[in-house]
Amino acid sequence: MSETAFEPEITAFVCQYCGDMAADSAGWNRISYPANVKIVRLPCTGKVDVHHILNAFEHGADGVYVVACPEGNCHHINGNLSAKRRVKYAQSLLDEVGVGGNRLEMFHVTAAQGDEFARIAAEMTERIRALGPSPVRRAMGK
Amino acid sequence: MAEKAPVSAALVIGGGVAGQRAALDIAEAGFPVYLVENGPSLGGIVAQLGFMFPTHDCVLCRGGRDHGYGCTRPAISPAFHENSRHPNIQVHTSTEVVSVEGRAGDFTVHLRQRPQYVNPERCINCGKCAEVCPIEIENPFHEGLAKRKLIDKDTGRLIPDSYYLWEKAEYCETCHKCEPVCPTQAVNLSAQPKEWEVQVGAIVLSTGYRLFDPREYEEYGYKRFPNVLTSLEFERLVSNNGPLMGHFVTPATGEKPKSIAWLQCVGSRDHRYPWCSAICCLHATKEAILAKERIGQDVACRIFFMDQRTFNKEYHAYYERSRELYGVEYIRSRISGLRQDPKTKQIYLRWRDEAGKFHEEPYDVVVLSVGVHPPEQSERVARMLGIDLNDYGFCHTEKFTPVATTRAGVFAAGAVSAPREMAEAFTTSTAAANEVIQLLSALGKPQVPAKPQPAMPEGPARVGVFVCRCGGAIEGHMDTADLAMYAATLPQVAYTAAVDFPCLAEGQEEIRRAIAVHKLNRLVVAGCSVRTHLALFERLAEEVGIPRGLVTMANIREQAAWVHPNPADAARKAKELTRVAVVRAVKGRPVKIDTIEPIPEVLVLGGGVAGMTAALELANAGLDVTLVEKTDRLGGIVRRKYHLVEGQDPQQYVQSLVNQVLKHARIKVLFNTRLVSQSGRPGRFRTVLQHVENGRTEEIALEHGATVLAIGGVPYAGGEYMLGQHPQAVSQLELERILAEEPERIKGLRQVVMIQCVGRDEAPHSPCSRICCTGAVGNALKIKELNPACQVYVLYRDVMTYGPREAYYTAAREKGVLFVRYDPAEKPAVSATPQGLVVKVRERTLNEMLELRPDLLALSTVTQPAPDTADVAWRLGLPLSLEGFFQEAHTKMRPTEFVKPGVYVAGLAHYPKFIEDSVAQAKAVSAQILQWLGHGPVQVGGLVAEVNQERCVGCLTCVRICPYHAPYIDYSVPGIGGIMGAAYIDPARCQGCGLCTAECPNKAIQLYGYHDEALMDPAMPVLGRWEVPSPAA
Repeated sequence: MSETAFEPEITAFVCQYCGDMAADSAGWNRISYPANVKIVRLPCTGKVDVHHILNAFEHGADGVYVVACPEGNCHHINGNLSAKRRVKYAQSLLDEVGVGGNRLEMFHVTAAQGDEFARIAAEMTERIRALGPSPVRRAMGK
Repeated sequence: MAEKAPVSAALVIGGGVAGQRAALDIAEAGFPVYLVENGPSLGGIVAQLGFMFPTHDCVLCRGGRDHGYGCTRPAISPAFHENSRHPNIQVHTSTEVVSVEGRAGDFTVHLRQRPQYVNPERCINCGKCAEVCPIEIENPFHEGLAKRKLIDKDTGRLIPDSYYLWEKAEYCETCHKCEPVCPTQAVNLSAQPKEWEVQVGAIVLSTGYRLFDPREYEEYGYKRFPNVLTSLEFERLVSNNGPLMGHFVTPATGEKPKSIAWLQCVGSRDHRYPWCSAICCLHATKEAILAKERIGQDVACRIFFMDQRTFNKEYHAYYERSRELYGVEYIRSRISGLRQDPKTKQIYLRWRDEAGKFHEEPYDVVVLSVGVHPPEQSERVARMLGIDLNDYGFCHTEKFTPVATTRAGVFAAGAVSAPREMAEAFTTSTAAANEVIQLLSALGKPQVPAKPQPAMPEGPARVGVFVCRCGGAIEGHMDTADLAMYAATLPQVAYTAAVDFPCLAEGQEEIRRAIAVHKLNRLVVAGCSVRTHLALFERLAEEVGIPRGLVTMANIREQAAWVHPNPADAARKAKELTRVAVVRAVKGRPVKIDTIEPIPEVLVLGGGVAGMTAALELANAGLDVTLVEKTDRLGGIVRRKYHLVEGQDPQQYVQSLVNQVLKHARIKVLFNTRLVSQSGRPGRFRTVLQHVENGRTEEIALEHGATVLAIGGVPYAGGEYMLGQHPQAVSQLELERILAEEPERIKGLRQVVMIQCVGRDEAPHSPCSRICCTGAVGNALKIKELNPACQVYVLYRDVMTYGPREAYYTAAREKGVLFVRYDPAEKPAVSATPQGLVVKVRERTLNEMLELRPDLLALSTVTQPAPDTADVAWRLGLPLSLEGFFQEAHTKMRPTEFVKPGVYVAGLAHYPKFIEDSVAQAKAVSAQILQWLGHGPVQVGGLVAEVNQERCVGCLTCVRICPYHAPYIDYSVPGIGGIMGAAYIDPARCQGCGLCTAECPNKAIQLYGYHDEALMDPAMPVLGRWEVPSPAA
C-alpha cells in the first residue's frame, strides 16, 4: 500500500442527542463528507471512556474524535465537559506512547448542524490522511 | 370512520408544547387522549425556536420524566414521534373540531380532517415526491424566508415525520408526478377529507397564540423595508436549522450586519392592544445574545424598551449577563416610527432619551418584538365550545381556578388564556391535565398500558439482520443484497435478508415470520435513524419474545447512503456500521427493569395556598395526605392579603381552603411540625418529623410515596427606608391591612409614597419578586377609590405588570397615580423630620430632585425564600437556585419537580408568584403524582447504570460525578474484599448518561445497552479498524 493511497479509518463517538442528530441532519440535507468515519452512538459523550479511546487505537483506528452537544447545552448537564477532560487526558497518553495526541479531537455541534458535522468529518479525515496510518496500524502490519 | 372510545377519554385541542404536555400527562395517568392539531404537524411556535431563554438549551431533547417512549429519557417531541408514541395517545393533524355537544363527562366531538394526500404512516421520508414537484411555495416554518415544494417537508424533524402536500393546487390535477414516484404508494392525490365523532369526558383547550402582524402599523415599514424583520423571522434566520443555517446576513445587502436594534412592545402595551405580551423582553435579550454569539461580538445590539420585565426565575440574572458578558445595550425609549435610507437600505431610528434629548442613528437591521395575540380562530373555537373570552380575546379563567374555562369539563392550558412563557405554559398544561384526570377518574378506571418484558433468551445468539432497501432510498445508493450477504458472514448471524420496508406493516410481517422460522433471538436492522425507528423494532421484538437490549440498528441511510455519493464508499461504511450493530446485539443484555410497589401516601410540607391545594387535589383523588405545617395555623402568607387587584377576597378564599383541608377524611394535618430527615427512594420514602407542643418534643416517623414542598416565602424584613423604625413607614402588606380594617385612616391622608424593590440590593437573595408591582398598583387604586384627592407616588425601577395586569397599571395612571422611576444607583432617600417623613428622589425627565412629604410611606419589600428553605434543601439533598429558592429539574420544561424523582415543589418555595400561579403549580404537582402513585406496582429503569458491588471500593467517584445524584453508598452491602459499603445506583433516579461508568476507576459500573463487553470484546473489536478493506487500498 502506498502512502498516497492511504485511506484513514476513523472512529467518531457521538452522543445520541446533538452528535447523532447532526449526522442525521447531514443525511437529510444530503451533505456529503468522506466515508472514512465510523459513527459509534452513545447516550452521552460523558459515556466516552479513556479505555474506549485507547481500545480504538489499540485495534488500529488511525484517528478518533468525539462529537458532543455544545458546552452548556449537554442533555445530561455536563457529560460533554467530562468527555472534553478525558479527551485531553487521552491526548497526553497518546503523545506519551508515540501514537500522537493530534489523532484525537473533541468537537461540539448542535443537532441541526449537519453542515458542521460534515465539515468536522472532512477536517479529521484530512488531518489523519496527512499524518498517515497510525503507528499501531503499521505495527499490526497493514 | 367512526371510532369507538370509552367516555373516560380526553380531547386536547392544539398540538403545541402545551397541548403535547397535557396529552402526555393525561395519557401517563392511564386515560386515552385524542390530540387534535389544525396544522400539518405538532410543535406550534416553539418548534420554530432554536432554543429557550434563559437556559439556552434546545427544546428538542429536554423535558419529560416519562421513561420509555422516545429518546432514552424522552422529551416533549420525541415522545410524540410515531414509533415512540404513548399508546394512550392518538394524534390527528390537519384536523379541526367542528362541534362539541354534551356536557362534562359526556362530550360528543365532531372532527374533520383535511385530505391526507400523503399518508404519514407510509411515508419513509425519501423525498422523491419533492424532487419531482415543479411548484415552489413559501415555507411557513421559515416564516416564508425560504421556499419549499408544494409537496415537501418544512424542516427535517416533524411530527408526524412525513412529507405532505401543502394544499392541492389546480396544477396538481394534471401533473400527478408525485404519485408514481412514491415507493410506498403513500401519495394519493384523490384523498378525501375525513369526518368522524369521538366521545370524551373532558377537553383541554391549548390552541396557543399567534404573533402580531406588524403590517397593521405601517410606521414600522415591515414588508416595505427589507431590513425590518419580526422577532420570529430573526429567530429563523439566526437558527442553525434556519434557511441560512445560522449564518445571519443583512437581508438587503447580504453582508454581516454591524448593528441591530430591537423595538419592544410592537402590538402590545398600546391603545389598541393594551396588554403586555410577557415573553418579548426576554426573547429580545435571547436574540441579542444569539446575534453576539453567531454574528460576532462586534455587532452592536441595542434593545429599545419601556420596562425590562424580567419577572421570572433567573430572568434578571440572564438580563444582567446579556449586558455585562455580551455587551447588549438597553435603551429606555419607545420608538414609534422609522425611516429607510433608500440607498444603503439602513434603517434610521429617532429616539428620545430619558432626559428628553433626541437622537437619530442608522441600524443595519431592525427587529420588531411583536406581541402575543389570541389565535386567529379563537372566536370560532370559543363559540363552538361555548366558553367565554376575556376583553383581549384570550380564554377567560378565574383567579382561583386558573385552568377552568366557563364551561364545565373544558380546561385551558398554556398561552390560550394569557401570554405565557414556557414554564408557565407547562405548569398550566399539567394543571389542566390534573383537572381532566380528576374528572375522568370518577368515570372509569385508568388503563396503564402493560409493558411486556421478555426474559433473556436461552441458548446461543441467533442474530437476524434485516437490511432496508427503503424503496430506492438506500438501494440505488448501494447494493443492499451484497450488504445482507456480508452480514451473513458475521459471527452468530443466523439469517439475513434485504427487505423493502421494514418499517411498514408488510415488512414487519416479514421480519416477524423470519424470527419465528429461523428461531432468531437477536434483531439487527440496517436502515434509517436510530432515533426515529429503534422504538418500532424494539416493540416488534418484544412482541415475539426478544427483549429490549438485544435489538440494535445501523443507520445506513442518513449516515451512509445519503452522504457518500460513491456507492462503494457508502457500501463499505454500511458494512462496518452493520458489523458493529451485530456485535452489540450478540453481546447485548435485556434492559434493566425493577418493579416497585409505591406507598399511596403523600407528605406535603407547608400549609399555605399551594400546600393546601396540592393536599386537597391528591386527597380527592383517593391518596392519603399528611400536611405538615411549621406554625400553628394554616393559610400561609395569603392570610395577610386583604384584597386583590382583580377584586376577589383572598381571606374568604384561604378560609374555605382551610375548612376543606381540616374536615377532609384523607388529610391529616400536623401543626408545629418540622422535617428532620428523609431516606428511601421514590415510592417508599421514610421521613422523620419533629412535632413540638407545649414545650414537648416528639418525633414522628412516616412512610409515604411522594413529597411535596410548599414551604412558601417571606417578605424581606430589613430596615431600609425607616421600615419598622418610624410609624409612617409601613410595609405594603401593612398598608393592605389598613386599607381593609381602617379605611377611615386612608380618608384623612394627603399623600402616600410607595417605594418598589425594597431589599433588592440588600437582601441576601435579590431577584425581582414579580408580585410587588401589581400589589402596589392594587393598593394605589384602593387608596384612590377611598380617597381620590390623595396623591399617590410609586417610585419604581421597572413596572412588572406583565400580561393582562398591564390594565391595572394603566388604570392607576388614569386615576392620577404618579409613577416615578428611580435609578438603582441613586435610590430614593428617606429621612425623619419633626414634621414627618421626607422622601427625596431624582425625577429623571426633569432631572430634578423631588421632595415628597408623605403621610404614609409604603414599602414593597422583596419576597425571600422561607428561612428554613436551605435547611430543608440540605436535609432532602435538593439544590437551590441562585435566588435561594428550590431549584427545579429544569427551569422551563420541568417547573414542578426535581431531578430527584418523587419530590415536587409548588408555590413561593419555587419562586415568588401570584395566587393563580401557585394554584396551577399545586394542581400540576397533583397531576404528576397521580400518574404513578395509586395504580399499584410501577416499573422503573431501562438503559440504566448498574454497579457490580463486588468490585466497588466505595471511593465515591460516581456519587460525586452523577448529575442526577443517583448513586449512593449502601453501607449494608459488602464491596470489594468484603469491606462493608458499596455504591448502589437507584434505577428510578438514573438517567442513563453513563458518566459514572466512564469515571469509575475500578470499572465496577456498566451501562445497560453499552456494556464494555459489547464495545470492547477482544474477540470482536468494534471500535478500531474496519473489517472490510478500503476500496482504495
